[in-house]
Amino acid sequence: MAIIDPIITGLSSGWHHIDASTLEKDRHFEADVVIVGTGAGGGTAAEILSQAGLKVIMIEGGALKSSTHFDMEERHAYPNLYQQAAALKTADKGIGIFQGRTVGGSTTVNWTTSIRTPEPTLDFWQQSKSVKGLSATELQPWFEKMEQRLNIEQWQYEANRNNGALRDGCEKLGWEYTVIKRNVKGCWNTGYCGMGCPVNAKQSMLVTTIPSALEHGATLISRAKVVKLEHKGDKVVGLTAQAMTEGFKPTALTITFSAKHYILSAGAIHTPTILMRSNTPDPHKQLGKTFLHPSLLSGGMFAEQINGHSGAPQSIYSDEFVWQDGAAGELGYKLEVAPVHPVLIASKTIGYGVSHAQLMANFNQMQVTIALIRDGFNEQSPGGQVRLTDNSFALDYPLTDGFWSAARRAFLSMAELQFAAGAKKVLPMHDGLSFFESWNDAKQSINQLDLGLIKTIVASAHVMGGCPMGEDKTQAMVDSYGNSHYFENLSVMDGSVFPTSLGANPQLTIYGIVARNATALAQKLTAK
Amino acid sequence: MKRRTFLTGAFAGTAALALGVNLYVPTSSTAADDIHHRVLFSVFIPIFLDGSLPEVANHREMAINRTLDAISQSITHLPQAQQDELMELLDLLEGRFGLLLLSGSMTPLLGREPQQLIDMLEFWRYNFLDMLKTAYSGLRELIMASYYACPEHWGNLRYAKPTFLVSNAN
Repeated sequence: MAIIDPIITGLSSGWHHIDASTLEKDRHFEADVVIVGTGAGGGTAAEILSQAGLKVIMIEGGALKSSTHFDMEERHAYPNLYQQAAALKTADKGIGIFQGRTVGGSTTVNWTTSIRTPEPTLDFWQQSKSVKGLSATELQPWFEKMEQRLNIEQWQYEANRNNGALRDGCEKLGWEYTVIKRNVKGCWNTGYCGMGCPVNAKQSMLVTTIPSALEHGATLISRAKVVKLEHKGDKVVGLTAQAMTEGFKPTALTITFSAKHYILSAGAIHTPTILMRSNTPDPHKQLGKTFLHPSLLSGGMFAEQINGHSGAPQSIYSDEFVWQDGAAGELGYKLEVAPVHPVLIASKTIGYGVSHAQLMANFNQMQVTIALIRDGFNEQSPGGQVRLTDNSFALDYPLTDGFWSAARRAFLSMAELQFAAGAKKVLPMHDGLSFFESWNDAKQSINQLDLGLIKTIVASAHVMGGCPMGEDKTQAMVDSYGNSHYFENLSVMDGSVFPTSLGANPQLTIYGIVARNATALAQKLTAK
Repeated sequence: MKRRTFLTGAFAGTAALALGVNLYVPTSSTAADDIHHRVLFSVFIPIFLDGSLPEVANHREMAINRTLDAISQSITHLPQAQQDELMELLDLLEGRFGLLLLSGSMTPLLGREPQQLIDMLEFWRYNFLDMLKTAYSGLRELIMASYYACPEHWGNLRYAKPTFLVSNAN
């Protein structure tokens, strides 16, 4: 069956799109608002501002790829749609990071899990991080607006076996679990969300807000990497981007922009990187403090077919262990599952040779549970720090004793859950381990494990923080509406404004907060 | 400008998921460096993928060659700093001094028995130096990701993507 590609249709109808790799000379553009980045934050802001009648330009470092290109193969998806071909790592190589780099940002490749910001997180921000006006009650209308916009609803179909095992284990153990809300419309339940939705069911920015902004006359410039902003006094006076080649190598061509207002929505690594490279004020050293939800993986081998590649990748989660000791207490972790595709599993498991070949041969019987550790709430997990390098950036993220203590508890919970769900054997992803045949064996060994850098597999798909919000300038770079404390015409609208991690998958939090902040900005800009 | 190196920065490895055979074209003419690196990877591939590679000789050779092509493509998708680190590791493994440093022996890798290669990888894997652990995990991820990126290597997995779409690019 052929699928109609709304991007190709829109482009042929006259949308303004420039692929910077095709430019032959330097260019300059002017607009009311220039938005850097087209992910959850940039996409949401672009729609709201262009609907308000403002002339908007969206700049994206990645390419404009759409359902026509999404062929459900990892070998194409990772280099085309992810930062650093999905090989992005922290400086010490301890954490592998998955982040989108394409029009639509990570929303084009995420697993569609949509969760409102947990109340303990909002309370903590208000009490400890000087955030104002973002209580659950105040955010409710914005969540409702974006849930309606992106068709975010509880998944109505039976969970696939990968998620079903998480549910079964929770039921057996009396642990909390929740059916996930997903941003999909007419989902085919195939399981390839991480490679770009081939049937345009996922209501990512790529097929919702960005087309809407383009319909309202916005311009999209792709394969353009913003390198710095120019500023004078308390105003941003321009922005410079570098045109990239088709293969994302920098060219000598520059694209400059001037606008009444500038919005950074480049994500939690690139937004602070742009500000650092522009030498913007940061007297209290708040820029680049990054949170990752560093995550552990556990493989459970079942007698029956799990087929973890098939069906909605995430439809169940458990918050049993996220807030047990309060927000500022011992680090908690959220339990979810990860889809099982060959490259992802081959590289994020352990060992090589015959043992690894056997694991891969039983690929369809493998269930993968993940534990996402919420970071940034206390001194046990201060998070990471982005810094500039000669031509790029690095992210230092020390894995602390507090983290390893939480990792051990997470491995124990995952093994207990997988055995309770019926797994015949369980393998925590820590190098050198063999499958455990029983919960008792697992419990004893995990308690003795020498967890540590590189030998314990740690991954992240949620990059947050780096440009925190709050009213107290000693704690924050932007106010609670995302407006810069230092420049009157600069806002930040992405996950980098989070003062801590969330303890939940971030997309809906970004949608809700940015919808609120972009609406306020549109009112301000159109009132003048 | 200070270049990050394998020795000071620790090899990124990880091509992780890079595999990117997006622009894959079988190629017989490659740069001299690439040929050397192909020889090196052709030594490691049968070790890392023992049990996964086909047993029939010509199928096995095809799978190895296909993986080598995929590795070459994967490397081109890595950021420059990671490519630099990887190249430095490969250069070290091609030189006697580097081999001595990394494995305690000057015997070229091509002349080593499989068990000797396994011993070297195990020495890296469980070493107290993060640099050697990184070398192991980097090569491991690059080879595993590149092998399993190729649909022709999914036979043992009984994994196949859905076929409901009639036209797609790439």
